[in-house]
Amino acid sequence: MTEAVWERREGAVTFRLPKRAAAVFALMIAGLTAVLVVSLMTGTYPLDVSGVLSTLFAEAPNGTAETVVWEFRFPRTIVALLAGALLALSGATLQNVTRNPLADPSLVGVSQGASLAVVSLIVAFPGVHPAWRPIAAFSGALVIAAIIQLIAMRRTGGATMRFILTGIGLAAFIAACTQGLLTYGDIDRAQSALGWLAGSVHAATWTEVGWLSACTALVVPFLFWASRPMAAIRMGNDAAISLGVKLRATRIALITLSVALAAFAVAAVGPLAFVGLIAPHIARRLARSGVGMHLALSAASGGLLVGLADLLGRAAFAPIQIPAGIVTAILGVPVFIWLILRTQSRQQL
Amino acid sequence: MNAAALPEARAGARVGWPVVLLAVLALAFLAHISVGAKTVPLFTVVEALVDPVDGEFDHIIIWSLRLPRAVAAVMVGAGLAVAGALMQGVTRNPLAEPGLLGLLYGASFAVVVTVGFFGLAAPSWIPLIAAVGALAAAALVWLIAAHAGGGSTPITLILSGAAVTALLAALVTLVNLLDEQTFEELRVWLTGTLAGRGVETLLWAAPWMLAGLVVALGAARQVTALSMGDETAVGLGVDVARLRLLILFAVVALTAGAVAIAGPMGFVGLVVPHMARMIFGHDYRLIVPTSAFCGAIFLLVADIVARMALAPIEISTGIVTALVGGPVFVWLVRTRL
Repeated sequence: MTEAVWERREGAVTFRLPKRAAAVFALMIAGLTAVLVVSLMTGTYPLDVSGVLSTLFAEAPNGTAETVVWEFRFPRTIVALLAGALLALSGATLQNVTRNPLADPSLVGVSQGASLAVVSLIVAFPGVHPAWRPIAAFSGALVIAAIIQLIAMRRTGGATMRFILTGIGLAAFIAACTQGLLTYGDIDRAQSALGWLAGSVHAATWTEVGWLSACTALVVPFLFWASRPMAAIRMGNDAAISLGVKLRATRIALITLSVALAAFAVAAVGPLAFVGLIAPHIARRLARSGVGMHLALSAASGGLLVGLADLLGRAAFAPIQIPAGIVTAILGVPVFIWLILRTQSRQQL
Repeated sequence: MNAAALPEARAGARVGWPVVLLAVLALAFLAHISVGAKTVPLFTVVEALVDPVDGEFDHIIIWSLRLPRAVAAVMVGAGLAVAGALMQGVTRNPLAEPGLLGLLYGASFAVVVTVGFFGLAAPSWIPLIAAVGALAAAALVWLIAAHAGGGSTPITLILSGAAVTALLAALVTLVNLLDEQTFEELRVWLTGTLAGRGVETLLWAAPWMLAGLVVALGAARQVTALSMGDETAVGLGVDVARLRLLILFAVVALTAGAVAIAGPMGFVGLVVPHMARMIFGHDYRLIVPTSAFCGAIFLLVADIVARMALAPIEISTGIVTALVGGPVFVWLVRTRL
């Protein structure tokens, strides 16, 4: 069966875009918009659709609606969607580079490294501006990723399973460090760090929206530029080399990129588990496409996932708010188990 | 399979080891009681244990606070270490451990849910509830791993253990958030701690752990055979299915007792048996008892560190064991897989 595609084979810009993937992407954008609107409506002060729309685009019906939508729900939802997209991109990149379907920033210790750095910052230097958090998170995550690479890669070139297991061990170690830090720290600061660690977007403000979108704008173009070498690497190291990819350099660049993406998301909303694992698989199952389109679809599914998780966490046991991280973990584990079961042979695992 | 077949060096180690281990254990035990917010001299510790004087302040501290905690450390350390040794031997998986394979969190989850939702806080029930939870989690992890491509290898077992643990951890946090009051006390317990264990809890956990230990010692000989492969074990006349069932019982009983006392204390069952194996070889008749001793010593020392490292603040003992266990796990992945 040949798929319907749009393509352009000549000229400066060439592409090949399956129509189904494009349709799925359009549907996802619609879904994201729907999640945004419903998220703005839901809460202890419920609004209807017209109330939300008039607050956004015209005069607010009253002062409360104005505050609730613009100060609380809107930044919160944007942060959820952005963080989900970043985590999904990070997971997709990691899975492509390591050719391991189970790679996920929260599974291999990258999220934990970022968490440790941020918690250290919160506990040790409470006065520091939150804008330093993404930088701290990035450095922490990068150090951990480098350690994992060193340990896992040394003996066998690309032992992917060793990579995951090393990550699990390091994650336990780092989580213990973070916990120790929390016991040591001042109780109020520990409380604020604890809320953040559960993976919650409830405290998000326009500040987070600001730097998260700045980070996204900075990093994401690189990723789409890198989608072609990534496609080559996905076919195997030998294939990539014969296609002219500088394997080592590209690999390091892509892993650094993936770490940065995860670190920024973690700095904003805490370690949201399993998003980077699930979203790329959802994208892959919904539509077959090249690496670039797959990245776009992954980002959209990641945003949808975290947006829905936040919505669910707010609505399910209202007035108690369940952090989005709990919801993504509960949704993510069955997918993780399914992936373990589906993996066919020892070589793959 | 008899004692005469042991190599000479090992036979030599057999004579000396009980004395050395007992001495180290006694020293760690006394040191554990001696240190704390108020340091009690070792001599006073011995005096208080041998000949307690009514009303003497140091003696009251020791008998009401320090001694129960030291006993708890010995029980939990020994129990988890033996459970880990048995799991490693029977599954021939160097990474098997109650924590990594989900048993600890299964037991903890069961306890949190029953205490939280049904108010069943009586210490008599906790070990049984923990045992049910540990068994269910073990079954689930094994089921997932067995159906994975490639069967239940060390890797699939660890992965499904990680998956089940992640799910249970999320559910525990969820339950915590829904009812903050009831869980105030449980929250500390959930990080693996030896602080504030009542004598009653220890007494109720003791029969479980004793039963597990007796089974472990009795089956140690056959575990050695099984650790060399199923065919070898069958050839040596071991009823493999029956042995697996027995060991499962022992592991669950030991884990349940340990969780009832200290919550999910990770990595003890991973670190200690490997330590014991390095010193005492591969005969489980030696590994089981020495793991018990080394586990007790390990946890006593870990608990001393937990109390002293950031004094006057006390960190959870589970944090210390994870700080040791994480790197050991990574090392095992590098060398044994």
